[in-house]
Formats: sequence, C-alpha cells, structure tokens
Amino acid sequence: MSVAEAAALDDATLVARSRDGDMRAYEQLVRRYQGPMYRLALRIVGSSGDAEDAVQDVFLTAWRRLGQLNDDGAFLGWLYRTTTNQCLNVLRKRKPHADTELDEHESPAPRTRPDRAVEVNAQLDALQAALRGLTPEQRACWVLREVHGRSYDEIAEAIGTTQQSVRGRLARARAQLAEVMAPWR
Amino acid sequence: MAVTSDYVLPCGRDVEEVWEAIDLSDEHTRSCPHCAAVRESLLVLRAATDEMAREEVEPPFDLVSRIMSAVRADVRRSDVVPLPGDGLARISTRAIAAVLRYAADGVDGVRARGCRVVEAPESTGSDPVIEVELSIAITASLVTHAAYEEVRRRVLAAASARIGVRLARLDLVVADVLEG
Repeated sequence: MSVAEAAALDDATLVARSRDGDMRAYEQLVRRYQGPMYRLALRIVGSSGDAEDAVQDVFLTAWRRLGQLNDDGAFLGWLYRTTTNQCLNVLRKRKPHADTELDEHESPAPRTRPDRAVEVNAQLDALQAALRGLTPEQRACWVLREVHGRSYDEIAEAIGTTQQSVRGRLARARAQLAEVMAPWR
Repeated sequence: MAVTSDYVLPCGRDVEEVWEAIDLSDEHTRSCPHCAAVRESLLVLRAATDEMAREEVEPPFDLVSRIMSAVRADVRRSDVVPLPGDGLARISTRAIAAVLRYAADGVDGVRARGCRVVEAPESTGSDPVIEVELSIAITASLVTHAAYEEVRRRVLAAASARIGVRLARLDLVVADVLEG
C-alpha cells in the first residue's frame, strides 16, 4: 500500500468516526488539515483575519455536513472545494476597494529567514503582491493548481465552472504574473 | 520585453505556448527575443511559485481549539429544544426523554426503554414541536390493546403539560415482550 493510500484510508476512518459524533476523531482531521486550508485561504483572501474566519467556518460546516459526504475518503477534496467557495464568498461580500484597507505590508510570513536569500524573499513578496492584481476566480484557480497541486477537475468543481474555463483562467493568470515578475529575470 | 496585454507576442506566439514548451528550447525560442524574454519571466515565476509552495505558514496556535469550541457549541445547540416563551429557555432532549419514559412507565405492564427525541422541522421558538420514537418492553399477561392507547395518551399529555412542547409524531415500538 502506498503512503497516499494509507493516508486516504486513515481519513476515511476518522470521517466515519466523526460522523458518529466522535469529536476526538474530528479534532484529528482538523489538526491534519487546518494548515493547508489556512494557507489556501490566506493566499486567496490575502488577510490573516479573514483567512482564520474562513477556515473556522469551513470546519464547522464540514462537521455539520458529514452526513452528506458519500465517499469518506474524499474528505480532503471536499475541504478544498468548501474552503475555496468560502473564500470567494468572503471576497464577494467585501466592499469595493476594500483591498486598500488590507495591510499592504501583511505577508504570510516574516521574510526574515536567514536561510533564504534576500532576493528570493523579495521575489516572494512581489509574487504575493501580483496575486492581488488577479480576479478572485483567477487567483483561486492559480493557487489551487500551482501551489496546492489540485486537479483541473477538482478546481472546476470548486469554482463552479468547466475544466476548459479553468485552463483559460490559469493561462491568463500565468501571463499576468509572469509580466509582474519580469524585472527579476 | 514585457508580455503584451493580450498575451500574444509580436512573433505571434501565445505566452501559454512558451509556458508549455518551457523546458524544450526549440530553434524559434532560441532565436526569438520575445519568446526568450517571456521564457525568462516564466522561469522566475516558476521559481517563486516553488518557494511559495514550500512556505509553511502556520495558522494561529489556537485555531484548532477555536474550531473545536465552535463544534462543541454546535453539538450542544443541536441537542436542545426551545421552550415556549421568549425563546431564550431551552431544554435538553435527554431531559425530555426522561419525562416521557416516566409517563410511559405509569401504565401497568409497560417499561420504557429507548426514547429518541428530535426537534421537528416545523418547530419554532414560539411553538416548539418534537418528534419521538419510544421503544417499550411489555409484560404480555398485563398488557391489552388499550394499554398502547394509554401509553400514547400519557406521553402526549406529559409532553404538553409537563414540558410545554407539542408532540407532532410518536412512534411506539414494542422492543421486547416479557413473560409474567
């Protein structure tokens, strides 16, 4: 059995137990996936406060809807979809120009790690800033595919569109981001 | 050379074409300055993206406990039924079950076993409604057909008189028959 299969099996067990009301099992699922969901949310909504709220809502909703999940092993994909949806809803509810209220200097992590070259930190900051220039759907497509490695099929379902449209948005996002990164070449 | 706004380069190639062939440097890419420039930008983007994917930004240390508090509060909420009035008072379904079991026990030859209480879909704060599945064990020699009606009557009465909620549905299940 591959590592991936073992992990999927384990999720399925925890999901089945959670559905029976076992909160300790559910807490293990929360511990396992809060990190990737938080990072996804942070990259899409761009502010840590909104990302925390989104992730909290996602795990509460997931708990309430465990009964609707047909395939216990599909929990992670389901989390990715729910988190993406939640983040896009947060962005839709934001007032126009609310982006300017975001802390422009807020970045996901302090770029002060000594083991990383100054230039790499600066490039990451530039990429982070460039992501804000994309539409929310483009940003979600790009982050899900390029940073989190999700499938086109899964992304299409999360965004509520076709695979073809996902590929189009990705191409436009990539071209736009490459343009912003041009000064670093 | 900057990427053109419609993402088609002056040489006619699309940025996406350059991306797809980024690791296969063909004759055109080697000689075309537009493609070469875009390829360099895409390589920078790819490197920065890899860094972003490796970046382990951790959520706040208390996020798990906040999530689990919300889940526990949700479980507590789903386990109670509103009492009539201002909508602030609530009663646990377990407390309701205890009252209803006691009411059924009052009938000769009947012993309540399981009692599952759920709030009915039509229930509101001002008009709380419940649905109940009550399983009973009966002592065959003591129970007549009228006893079931008596159980039903007492349970319905206890729900409205002792608790104040309307019982919309009562499923009575004989789970066991005792000799004696």
